[in-house]
Amino acid sequence: MREQYKFLLPSLIVALVVVAFPTVFLFYISFHRWIIFIQGIEFTGFGNFYSMITSREFIKSLQVTLIFVVTSGLLTFVLGLALALILSERLRGQGIIRTIITLPVIVPPVVAGFTWKFLLNREVGVIGGYLLPALGFQKSLLGDPHLALGSVILADVWSRTPLMFLILLAGLQAIPTEIYEAARIDGASYWQSFRKITFPLLKSAIIIALILRFIDAFNLFDTIFVMTTGGPGIATQTLPLLGWKTGFLYYNLGEAAALAVIMLFITMIVSLLLVRRIRQ
Amino acid sequence: MRFVNRGCLVRGALYALLTLYLIFVLFPIVWLVLSSFKTHYQTLILPPKLIFKPTLQAYEKLLTGGMIKAFKNSLIIVGIDIVLALVFSIPAAYSLARFKTKLGENIGFWFLSIRMAPAFGVIVPLYIVIRNFRLLDTIFAVNISHLLLNLPFAIWLLKGYFEEMPIELEESALIDGATRFQALLRIVLPISLPMVVAVSILTFIFSWNEFLFAFVLTSSSGVTVPVLVASLAGTMRFDWPLMCAVSVGAMIPAFVFVFFVQRYIVRGLTLGALR
Amino acid sequence: MLKSFKWFGLVLLVTGVVLLTLNAASLVAQQRPTIRIIAFAQGFAWPELFGTTGTERTELLKQLEDREGVNIEIEWGDEWAVRQKVLTDLIAHTGRYDIVLVGSDGGVQTYGAGGFLEPLDSYLEEHPSEYFDPNDVYPKFLDANRMPPGGPLYALPYYSFGAGIIYRKDIFDRYGLTPPKTTDELLKVLEKLKQGFERDGITDIYPITMRGAPGEEPTLDLAGFVYAYAGYPAWFEGGAITAEEIKKNKAKPIFTSEDFKKGFKAFVDILRKYGPPGASTHTWVDMMNIYAAGKAAILMPSAINGYAALGITENPDVKNNTRFAKIPVGPGGKQIQSFWTFSLGINKDSKHKLKAWRVLTYLVGKDSMQAFAERTQWPNVTMKSVLYSDVLLSKYGEEEIRLNEESILEADPYYFPYIPELTEFMDKIGTAASRAIAGEDVDTVLNELQTWALERMYKAGYYD
Repeated sequence: MREQYKFLLPSLIVALVVVAFPTVFLFYISFHRWIIFIQGIEFTGFGNFYSMITSREFIKSLQVTLIFVVTSGLLTFVLGLALALILSERLRGQGIIRTIITLPVIVPPVVAGFTWKFLLNREVGVIGGYLLPALGFQKSLLGDPHLALGSVILADVWSRTPLMFLILLAGLQAIPTEIYEAARIDGASYWQSFRKITFPLLKSAIIIALILRFIDAFNLFDTIFVMTTGGPGIATQTLPLLGWKTGFLYYNLGEAAALAVIMLFITMIVSLLLVRRIRQ
Repeated sequence: MRFVNRGCLVRGALYALLTLYLIFVLFPIVWLVLSSFKTHYQTLILPPKLIFKPTLQAYEKLLTGGMIKAFKNSLIIVGIDIVLALVFSIPAAYSLARFKTKLGENIGFWFLSIRMAPAFGVIVPLYIVIRNFRLLDTIFAVNISHLLLNLPFAIWLLKGYFEEMPIELEESALIDGATRFQALLRIVLPISLPMVVAVSILTFIFSWNEFLFAFVLTSSSGVTVPVLVASLAGTMRFDWPLMCAVSVGAMIPAFVFVFFVQRYIVRGLTLGALR
Repeated sequence: MLKSFKWFGLVLLVTGVVLLTLNAASLVAQQRPTIRIIAFAQGFAWPELFGTTGTERTELLKQLEDREGVNIEIEWGDEWAVRQKVLTDLIAHTGRYDIVLVGSDGGVQTYGAGGFLEPLDSYLEEHPSEYFDPNDVYPKFLDANRMPPGGPLYALPYYSFGAGIIYRKDIFDRYGLTPPKTTDELLKVLEKLKQGFERDGITDIYPITMRGAPGEEPTLDLAGFVYAYAGYPAWFEGGAITAEEIKKNKAKPIFTSEDFKKGFKAFVDILRKYGPPGASTHTWVDMMNIYAAGKAAILMPSAINGYAALGITENPDVKNNTRFAKIPVGPGGKQIQSFWTFSLGINKDSKHKLKAWRVLTYLVGKDSMQAFAERTQWPNVTMKSVLYSDVLLSKYGEEEIRLNEESILEADPYYFPYIPELTEFMDKIGTAASRAIAGEDVDTVLNELQTWALERMYKAGYYD
C-alpha cells in the first residue's frame, strides 16, 4: 500500500504545512479574550463561545442563515440538475448555451451583488423601480425585511446555479448510454430510468455538489454584504456577516474566532452526514 | 436520457423553460454590458434607455489606467492555480479512490474540512503564516492559498468520478506490466476528461473571482480583477459604468475559456475505452 | 488530447514561472526607504498624484518622492476591505503600512486608544512642514482627530464635511417654501412637499433622502439628530463622552431615555413618512443616486453627498437648482450634526516615521486641498484659504461659501462619545434605526439597544 501514500503525499504536505498554524491559531484565539484596543490577551475558556451563542444576534443570524442556505441550496440544486439533464443531450447550440449558463458564476460575487442591488432598487433600479411598479408592485424589495432575504436568495441562485450545473453535467457524462438503451428496450419510461439509473449513478456527484453548495452558501459574505449590509436591520445578516462584524468592526477577535469555530463544526457535521450517504 | 421516447409537447416545454432561464441569466448581464457604455447618471434614469448614445468613457479609463495589470495578474494566477490544482489533486484523488483504507477515508475527509472554515476566521493567521515564509506580496502566496481552497473539491470530485469507473481497464494494464502511475496517466485520465475539464473550469472560476486572500496577501503590484472591482466601490465615488466595464473585461477570458473547454464534457468516453 | 492538455499546462507553468521571476526582480531593494500608504477612494483621493486610476506615477508624485528622498507606494481598497487589511497589519505588528487611513468615526477612536497610531502633536511642533499650516485648518477638523477629546492628535484630515441641507430650489419655489431653520420648520416643509406631490400626482420624487442602512454609516447622521433634539450627546448619563468621564461618574447608557428617543424617533419618523421606500437600506451611494436622478427634494444632513450628486448628475433641473442651506436647529437648541474627516495617521510600527510625516503633511496639505477643490468643486475642504479660493467662490458665490464655513465653525465634533468601543456602538445604533425605519416598534428596538449597551459596558469594566 505504500504506493497509495506516494500519490497522496504532495497534497498532504502542502495542506498540512499551510493549514496547521491557522487552525491552531484559530482555536487558540477562540479561547482568549482579545479585543484590539484593550491591552493584553486573557484566557477565558469557553467565555467567547457562551457570549456568542447567547447573544440575540447569533440566534437571529442562525435563523437567517438556515433559511438562506436551505432555500438557495434547494433552488440551485433543482435548477442545476434540470439544466444538466437537458444539456447533456445533443442540443442545437449546446456549446454556446452551456457557456451562457456558466456566465453568472464568472461575474465576481461583489459585482453580482451590486448588479442585483441596482436592479432591484426601488428608486432607481430597472426591475425594482420600473418593471415591478409597472406591474403594480410598489414595495421596496431590499427595504422590506421579508422581501430582502428573498432578494438576496435570488441573487445567490442566479450567481451559483452554474456551479451545480457544471458538476452535475460532468457527473452525468460518466453514465454510459448503453444502460439507457437497455432500459428503453425493456420498456422503461423516462422517470423510471431517471430514478433507477441516473439518480443512483449520479449520487456521488450530487453529494459533492451539495456539500460544496452548503459550504458556499453557509460562508457567503461578499454578495450579501454588498447588497444589503445585512439589512434592513438584521434581516439578511447571516453568520459570516456577523462574524466579520464581530472581528473587524467590533474588534473582538476572540468572539469572532469562536464563531468561526462554531461555523466550522456545523459545516463538518453537515458534510459528515452527507458523506455518509455516499458510502451507502 | 433520451428525448426520443418523449413527446414534442414535453420537448417544447423543456425548451420554453430553458429559454426562460436563459433570459433570467442574461438580463443582468446585458444590463451590465449596456451600463458599461453609459455615464453613471444615465444608468440611473427610469425608464431605462435601450437606445442611447453610447460613450466609451468607462473603457477609456479601463485601458489608460493601468488596470490591465490586474487582468494580467489574474490570468497568471489562474493559470498557475489550474495547473497546481490538477497536478496535486489527480494523484491524491486516484489514491483515495483506488486504495480504500480507514486512514485514507479520514485523510479524505480532512481534506474536505480544509474548505469548511469561514474566511473571516482564517485570514489573519494565514497572513501571519505567509509573512513568516517571507512570501507576502507575491503571486505565489496567492497561489498557495488558492491551492488550499481548490484542492478539497478537486480531490473529491475526481475521487467520486474515479470510483465510478470500472476497474477492469487499469487491471488489464497492470497485468500487462504498467505501473500505477502509467495506468493513471494513460488510461484513467483520458476517460475522466469530462471531470478533469469540469474541475479546471471550476478552478478557473473560483480563482478568477477570489477576493479575500488575493486582497490581503498582496499589495498594489499583485492586484487582481476582483480586488480592482472592489476598490472601485469607494467612498464618495461610485463609478458604476467603470465597474461594469471591468466586469465585462473579466467575463471575456472566462467566457472564451469555458466555451472552448466545455465541449470536452461529453459522454461516451467510457464506452470507447471498453471497446 | 491528453498530450495537448499536458503541453498546455506546461506552457502555462513556464509562463507563470517566467513572470514570477520578472516580478521578483522588480522587488529588488532600492536605495530610498519606501513609504506605504493604504487608503480607500481610489481615483478620488489625490488623483493629481496617483492619477484617476490611483495607480499612475505622475510627474508630481515623482517630484514629491525626489524632494523627500523616498519611494511612495499606495494601496487601495474599498472601505471595509481596507479595514481588514489595516487591522491585520496592526495586529501582526508587521509595520507594512506607514500611513493609514482612519476615519473620525471609529478609526481614530479605536486605533488611537489601542496605541496603534503615532501621536502627532510633537511632530507639529518639532517638525513643522511647509506643506501644512495647522493654523489654516479649521480647528474643529483637527479636534475630531483627538482621542480622547482634547487629547493627543492621531491623524490629520484630508477632505472633510460638516452638516447642511442640500435642496432643490425649483421645487421649493413651486410650493412656496424656504429652507427650514428649525426642525419644526423642517417637518412642516416635508409635510407640504408630500402633500404637494400628492396633489400634483408626482410619485417618483420623494421629499427627502437620508441614509438608513444598518451599521455605522447612518449613525453619523442619526447621532446628529439625537444631539440636536436633546441639546447634548445623549448616549450616556450626563452626556458623558469620554471613557474617563463614564468611569468616573458610572454613567450608564440612556438609550431608552426621552432625551435619546426624541432624536432617534425624529430621524426614523422622517424617513418612514417622507423618505423613499427603500430607505432602511440606503447608504451614501443611494442618497447620491437618488438626488442625482432628481428623485429627492432635500438631502441631509451630510451635504457632501449632495455635492457628489451634483457632480454626476446630467439632469438640468438638479444641476441648476441645487442649493445649500444651513442645517436646522433642534428643540435642544443645537444644530443637527454630521461631521466626519477622512484622516490619515502614522502607524506606530512604521520604520520611517519622520519621512512618513513629511509625506503625510503633503497629502493633507495646502496643495492637495487646493487640488481637491479644483477637481471636485466641492466645498468640503479643511482649510480656510482653500474654501475661499477662487474656484469655489466663483462656483457657489460668497453667500453659500460663508454658510458652509459657518456650518463648520458652529459644529461640535464631539457630538457622539469618543470611546474605543465607538464603532460597535455606532453599528448597533444604526442597525436599530434601520429596523425601526423598516417598520419595527421604536420602543422595542430601543429597549434591545439599551439592554445590549448596558451589558457591553459592564463587560468592558466601566462600572467596576
